[in-house]
Order: sequence, then structure tokens, then C-alpha cells
Amino acid sequence: MKDKADRASGLFWLTFSVFVSYQSYKLGLGTLHQPGPGFLFFWTGIVTAILSVTVIVISLRKRSSEETQQPTFGKKNVTKIVLVLISLLLYALFMEWLGFLIVTLLFFIFLLGVIEKKRWLFAILVSLIVTAISYLVFERALQSQLPQGLLDFLRF
Amino acid sequence: MIEILQNVIFGFQVALQPTNLIYCFFGVLIGTLVGVLPGLGPAAAIALLLPTTFKITPVSATIMLAGIYYGAMYGGSTTSILVNIPGEAASVVTCLDGYQMALKGRAGPALGIAAFGSFIAGTFAVIALTFVGPLLSNIALAFGPPEYFSLMIVGITVLTFLSSGSMIKALIMAGVGLILSGVGMDTISGKYRFTFNIQSLLDGVGVVPVAMGLFGISEVLLNLETEINRDILTTKVKNLFPTLKDWADSLWSIVRGSILGFFLGIIPGGGAVVASFASYAIEKKASKHPEEFGKGAIQGVAGPESANNSAAGGSFIPLLTLGIPANPVMAILLGALMIHGLQPGPLLMQNAPDLFWGTIVSMYIGNAMLLVLNLPLIPLWVKVLKVPYYLLYPLILLFCLIGAYSLDNTVADIVIMLIFGILGFLMKKLRYDGAPMILALVLGQKLETSLRRSLIMSQGDFSIFVTRPISLGFLITAVLLLIVPVVTQRKRLSTLKEG
Repeated sequence: MKDKADRASGLFWLTFSVFVSYQSYKLGLGTLHQPGPGFLFFWTGIVTAILSVTVIVISLRKRSSEETQQPTFGKKNVTKIVLVLISLLLYALFMEWLGFLIVTLLFFIFLLGVIEKKRWLFAILVSLIVTAISYLVFERALQSQLPQGLLDFLRF
Repeated sequence: MIEILQNVIFGFQVALQPTNLIYCFFGVLIGTLVGVLPGLGPAAAIALLLPTTFKITPVSATIMLAGIYYGAMYGGSTTSILVNIPGEAASVVTCLDGYQMALKGRAGPALGIAAFGSFIAGTFAVIALTFVGPLLSNIALAFGPPEYFSLMIVGITVLTFLSSGSMIKALIMAGVGLILSGVGMDTISGKYRFTFNIQSLLDGVGVVPVAMGLFGISEVLLNLETEINRDILTTKVKNLFPTLKDWADSLWSIVRGSILGFFLGIIPGGGAVVASFASYAIEKKASKHPEEFGKGAIQGVAGPESANNSAAGGSFIPLLTLGIPANPVMAILLGALMIHGLQPGPLLMQNAPDLFWGTIVSMYIGNAMLLVLNLPLIPLWVKVLKVPYYLLYPLILLFCLIGAYSLDNTVADIVIMLIFGILGFLMKKLRYDGAPMILALVLGQKLETSLRRSLIMSQGDFSIFVTRPISLGFLITAVLLLIVPVVTQRKRLSTLKEG
């Protein structure tokens, strides 16, 4: 499994490096007297590509011996991780529109109530406290200028 | 000599200003907390808290952020000894003997010697820093673009050499970091690179959101998968003050750890993690009873705990005098200084003496604070450990979100952080080390500028890097580090990374 993962990751970095080198080439390599904007990255891309190929070759070589390796991704908790990631993404998407207070409250209620399956009263109470304290600390004390969003009219 | 004394007095005047004292206190307090909490290292903490320093002066900000780093070195030992869970990577080795001591009812002396050893080593490092700093600054003034280029190459190579897992993968990570540093405007030609017409990429990819993703978000994702299981030692912690015999046993370990740690801290690519492992190995060799190691030898706690503190102090040297960070934590600190409008390097001492000497002297004060703070507060830190993870991780995530947003008041930084959070999670699964990527990302622009300036200087002749002796020395070191693992089995000093 690990070798398969190495092959996949090696292939990914290889594609990435080749792409970077191609883009750098288009930017212009310049001359040795006057290196252009693509110079360093063209060569970095080439070196990284060679290294990626090495990773792939090594993983192909030892294929047979280490087949009993543990799987890279356990099935355990995959849903939890995906749900957390989705909630983070939604936080970013709606932060400016809904405003810090609403989106933080919803984020916490979701994490505690839905993902962690705590009692609703507990989840809502903790979320309210966290939202209030973080607002006071960051917006009031540290003046972080968090987005007000829908609650903009309040301006308290 | 007198000049140094004057500088130190000046440093005290800066560091003893009430606001700076308060920020120093906050820094070491937060640092200890971060050290105690597993799953949140100093690198992530500094990145997260950077936006909270935007409204204060650069001096106060640096004093606080520095405090987080060396404060974490103290806090990490507490959890290693009491729970057998290292709060952060530099305290992993402390688990070996510290936890055994605790099992034998000697948790008190173990915590005590760790705190005193840390204090002695921390103070030693700061004193050494006071003398070595100006010296190195003067040498560095003679550095031209070729020397800087070669030095940065060495720094990145050492870090890949010491990083966990495959060195090839670490080198790929360094390459990717370098490429990422190229995003945005090219300072020499004014052309935009790799921006693909995305508005938020025009200013480049920031070190801080990337670090938050790699060291903050991805760590939470990993912990969600494994569910940390913590059994806290229920025995009462008593007799924090080590006995005379304990002192006699560990005094030389502390001395050796301090000196070793300091030098390993200075070397680009080195740092507290490597120092703690190296110190443990040396103490075991030096001991008349090596068989006691792993069964509760006090030297196995005193040495590494001293070494990691000393290294934390030492690693400020390359940052403050050369502008080259020795490890990811320093890389983030460099990013922080640059956001505050400062350019660390040999001129920092002249351009911002209050920052240079104020920060150094604040470390004397911070170390004293830590000693006072740590021993009586140990029961509190044990309580902190009992905070359940289902409450802790939403808080860490919220801090990441607020931190990333407040960098520039834009959601784009949150998106960058999330992308690197997922990438970091996958990288950890596939054994790619994030540290070289961060270092290369923060050094990238300087590396490119010095390369292009060198080639313009020499009119396209690459021999400029090998005809200048200092540059040649750096490059030989780098080449050796690249060849050694191919020829022999690379000795793994550490399986963990700084951060």
C-alpha cells in the first residue's frame, strides 16, 4: 500500500514539476548574464522532476517485499475528517456574508452537536460562550476587524 | 567588552519597559501552554498568534513570539514526564526516562531538574548569544550575494538531511517550497509569475497561512483520525526541588547539554529537536551506568531538557545576524518580522538595536519568569491536559480561522491555509516532511535575488560560487550532506521535525 502511495505521490510531484518548468520556460529563462524571471524555477522544476522519478523508481523496485504494509488510510473516522473539512470550507465561504458572530456560532454548534454528538443544550451553551469570548478578545481587545456580515447594522 | 555591557544595559532598558514585560510574560505563558498541549507546537502557535501582534510595536511583538518558542521547551517536558506524551517534538526523548522516574514516584525531582536545567541552559544560551551575535554580524557584513546564496543552500540541505524519513522526499519538499516562493511579482523584472490571473495570488503565497495549514490544521486532522488517548498519572507530585544527590548526578549533564544544544541551535537546519536527541545519546555514552537509561536515569532528563532550551536560544543567532532561519519556527518568526516591516540580517543590529538587544535581554527575563511560573503552576498544567479533545480541536480550528483571516482581512488566506492543511495531512500520511517546504518558501525570494545578482556580478560565470572561499566552504558542506546518505546509511538523529 505504501509503495502504491509513493508511486501516486511521486507521479503527482512529477506532473507538478513538469508543469512548473513549462510555465517558467514561457516566462523566459533569460541568459546567464541576465537571468530571467523563469530561470531559477525552470531548473528547480527539472531537479524536482528528477527526484520525483527517483521516488517512483524506488517504490517500483521494492514492490514485492513490503506488500504487507499497513494501509495508508484507515477507514476509521474518515467521515469525521471529511465533515470537519467541509465545515471549515463553509466557514470560509460564508464568513464575509453572514459575519463572524453567526458563522462562528454555527460552526461550533455543528462541530459539537453534529460531529461530536454532544447534548444539544451543552453544544449550544458552549458555542455561545466561545463565540462571545472570541468576539470580545479579537474584535474588541485586539481590533482584528472581523467581518460583521448580516449583523452589520448592529455595530455594538 | 564595555560595548557589549552597554548594549546589554540598553537591552534591559528596552525589555524592562512595562509593556514589553507584559508581552514577555504572555509569550512564555502561552509558550508553556502550547508546550503542554499535545498536537499544537510552537510553529503553529507563533503563526496563529501573529495577527494578535499587529497593533503593538515590532519589539513587543518579537519579544512575545520569541517567548512562545522557548516557553514551549519548558512546557513540553511536563507532559512527557507526567503522561508519557510529549507536548512537542523536542521533549520526545524526555519521555524515556522522565516517565520512568514518575512511575517510581520521582515525578517531582524529574520536573524540578527539567525546569532548573532548562533555566541554566536558557541563560547560558542567552549569554553566549550576547557575545556571538555581534561577532557573527560583523562577519556577515562581508558577505556578498554569492555567500548568501551558498549559505541558504547549506541551510536547506542541512534541514533536509536531518528531516524525518526519506531525504529525497525532503528535497522534493524544498523544491516545492522554492517554487511557491516564486508566486507573485518578480522583484527584478516586475513580471507576474504563476498567478494564473487569480487576484489573491498577485501578492504571493504567504509563509504564515501555509504554516498554519501544515502545522495547525493538518495536525488536528491527524489527531481526529487517531483519537489521542491520555492516562494522566494520578500520583501527587511532591518534592519538586531535586536533592543534592540529584544535583551531583545531573550537573555535568546540564553543562554538556547546554553547550551542545547551543551549537546545534546555531547551525542552519539544526534546532531543539536534534539537540535533545544528540544530548540523550551523549549522556548515555558518558554515563558509568548506561544500563539505567530508560529506567529512570535523571541524566536522561537533565541533559536533553537543557539541550533543547539552549538550542532554542542559539537558533536566534542565524536569524538575527544573518537573516537566515535555522528551523521552521525561526522561518515563521522571520515572516513575522518582515510583516512588521523589519529585514533581519547583519544590519538589524544597527538599524533596530532596540529590537536586537531588547529581544535578547527579554530572554534572560523570560527564562527567570519561566522558572518561577513553571514549578508552582504544574498542578494547573496537569488540569489543562484534562481538557477533552472534543473541546480543544474546535478551539484550535477557530484560532486558525481567525488568525488566517486577520493576516490581511481576506478569506483568500483561509483558503490557502485549508489547501495546505489538506496537503499537510496527506504529506504526513505519505511521509513527506513539511519543514523543508516552509524554510524554502521563506528563503526563496532572497535565494533567487542573490543567485541572479551573483550571476550579474560575474557576468554569467557560475565559478563565482566556488572561487570565493566562504561560499566554496558552504557549498562543499552542502555537497557532502547530499553525498553522505547515498554512500552510507543516513543516521537518523531524529524521526521528528521542529515545530
